[in-house]
Amino acid sequence: MSVTTLEKLYSELDFAVLSICKNDLITCLTEPPSWFKHFYPSLNKGGHLNQEELPGFLQHFMYDAEDHWQRKQSGQLKSGLWVEEAPDDTEWLMEATAVLVEDDRLLLLNLTDKDHGTHQKKQQLMRENLLTKEKLELEVHRRTQQIREREEEIAIRLISAAVQRDEETGAHIRRIGLYSAEMAKELGWPLPLVDDIKLAAPMHDIGKIGIPDKILQKPGRLTEDEFAIMKDHSRIGGEMLAGSGISLLNTASIIANYHHEKWDGSGYPDGLKGKEIPEAARIVAIVDVYDALVHERVYKKAFSETKTLAIMNEMAQNHLDPNLFAVFLSIIDRIREIKDQNQDEEI
Amino acid sequence: MIQKKICLLGAFSVGKTSLIKRFVESIFSEKYLTTIGVKINKKKLSIAEQDINLMIWDLEGEDDYTEINTNYLRGSAGYILVADGTRAKTLDSALSIHKMVQDLLGDIPAVLAINKADIEDQWLISPESIDNIDKNLTVIKTSAKSGDNVEALFTTLSQNMLGIK
Repeated sequence: MSVTTLEKLYSELDFAVLSICKNDLITCLTEPPSWFKHFYPSLNKGGHLNQEELPGFLQHFMYDAEDHWQRKQSGQLKSGLWVEEAPDDTEWLMEATAVLVEDDRLLLLNLTDKDHGTHQKKQQLMRENLLTKEKLELEVHRRTQQIREREEEIAIRLISAAVQRDEETGAHIRRIGLYSAEMAKELGWPLPLVDDIKLAAPMHDIGKIGIPDKILQKPGRLTEDEFAIMKDHSRIGGEMLAGSGISLLNTASIIANYHHEKWDGSGYPDGLKGKEIPEAARIVAIVDVYDALVHERVYKKAFSETKTLAIMNEMAQNHLDPNLFAVFLSIIDRIREIKDQNQDEEI
Repeated sequence: MIQKKICLLGAFSVGKTSLIKRFVESIFSEKYLTTIGVKINKKKLSIAEQDINLMIWDLEGEDDYTEINTNYLRGSAGYILVADGTRAKTLDSALSIHKMVQDLLGDIPAVLAINKADIEDQWLISPESIDNIDKNLTVIKTSAKSGDNVEALFTTLSQNMLGIK
């Protein structure tokens, strides 16, 4: 290929080709493209520049280029895009490429976009779309939060209604939710489901709202018939909360219905056994027993944690899920913390 | 005169170019115009009777598809991280860039600007998140729009680079 052909090629590609001499003097090997004239109006083919006359960005790139040439590396080193303002205030998007050709240190300068417009327009559009996406995501998040807050408000009011007629304290109800959430977290439940169980677990006894006062508030021991009616609270609660299509209430329904099932199948209402019992209900069964034992009730004094865990260990053979009880024991420090931080406050 | 190269780094559309324009040219435009590659601006400052020529490198912001070209950072004497107070994720980006630059250049002076202070009531970056930022990193609430703290931002970094407290 002749030199003339090469020059025509550079011209067609709109390249300015500079050669860096040993004394760091820069020679322009080609007829400078028209855009290059905005920066060096008097420079012609064969003309010279000093490094100090190069744009600031290019002076900076020369360190990397020099390193590239010194190592006699094959291939090209690209500078990355930069915007240069010419003395006539026009802006140009450029890129420089350093190459070593037969020991000649060459610097090719080219415009990545003649009017610096098309590339920028594409980037601009892409980033405006990203900003819109961010705003939409934020709005969806905000609306979801609003819905969640409404769900929580409804749940809290339902729980408050149930507590009015029950011996349980508000603090107990709240602790059940917090313990359950801690267990769910430890079991690796997805965050939305952890949030669900935190509010759903406190509703486990909501069905007691359907139990007559004379039974619910009877100070002494219940008769067999009375106990049969009392047991119906799980079914009532389950039905009250079922069929809403709301994840939180679905979880609450399952817990209300099955939290009196036992690991060995001797529980109620359906006599489910082992893992037939939904995990959420098995979790609540454990934390409900724990909280009842470590706190004082009208019929008993508070047990120490050691005694409580010993009793629960026995129960893990038949009543409670032994695997979940092991998980419970592994996070007992966090459970104790929740217990200590949530004492006797009304919800 | 001392010459120092500084870089402005952060997610896209946080106001890096606007901060520079406010500082260098005392102008502000509401229109968002994305930066491509890098652009260098210059500004002379006088800090404690020392003249300093700042070479301010305005780097294209990061997005899901564009990462910072680390070659641009070489030779920096300091850098300004920029986050947009109304976009919480931009603080995470700024802090992750901070870590990347520290790994690359070591502990050179840095300042974090949380921009858009003129609409602080709409911020989604919480005071707690700001409190949790490493105390070695100076945080300045700025507004390129009103000009609040823009001068202070560049002056603080320059003082740090010159070792003036």
